[in-house]
Amino acid sequence: MDRRKFLGVGLATFAAIVAPGTDLMAIDFRATKPKAWEVEKTVDGIKALYGNGGLKKSGIEFKAPKLAENGGSIPITIKSKLDLESVALFQDANPRCLTCVFSIPEGAIIEYDIRIKMRQTAFVTVVGKVRGSGELVMATKEIDVSIGGCGG
Amino acid sequence: MAKMKIKAKEKKGVVKVKAMFTNLMADREQAKKTGVKTEFIKYIVATVNDKVVYEVTTSGFMSENPLVKFKFKGAKKGDKIIFTTIDNEGKKQTGKKKIK
Repeated sequence: MDRRKFLGVGLATFAAIVAPGTDLMAIDFRATKPKAWEVEKTVDGIKALYGNGGLKKSGIEFKAPKLAENGGSIPITIKSKLDLESVALFQDANPRCLTCVFSIPEGAIIEYDIRIKMRQTAFVTVVGKVRGSGELVMATKEIDVSIGGCGG
Repeated sequence: MAKMKIKAKEKKGVVKVKAMFTNLMADREQAKKTGVKTEFIKYIVATVNDKVVYEVTTSGFMSENPLVKFKFKGAKKGDKIIFTTIDNEGKKQTGKKKIK
């Protein structure tokens, strides 16, 4: 199917399904920031999702294996003590950099464990947006992948 | 089709949740290579007592059969946690579990 068509159809059905129970979704990142899901480089992804802002390299951290034997399943634990509004995970290994975006309810404990796929050795970046001030915090790490996931 | 496995345990006011979803998580490129249909979960939400406790928008670059773990406060034993996932074709699935 044509890519443009595919996207259009996807968005339309998604919107139709979500419409009745919109209260569930705080921010629909796919509808509001469609560009962020398409770009390849982390830098562009951050710009598309959060805009141009200063990035502070503190306040957020994540755990990941230095050497991932299986690129198909890399466990990542994101932790932060700040009151964040959303957290996004980017990586440079795959054709599109944005992997997932958490929207965090107020007063939540930020300790999320998630598994991702990477097809090659690359940098993984976690960016968090502070509630209220809109300040951006980030952490980045290189992960070695010996066998790529993603069919690569 | 797809199944959902959920575990939720309360300890000292903090609830630990583990959830696994059955899904291929094949993005466009991978689907082309292996000849399967594009299939991935793009949205996961968990609610307890009509309050959202976990919400994530995902892409096809999560691992196959994604496993998520998280903690939250403000629920008692016996409360029900409800997971809803939406995949790339807009199919909705829900799973329920009592917090132990």
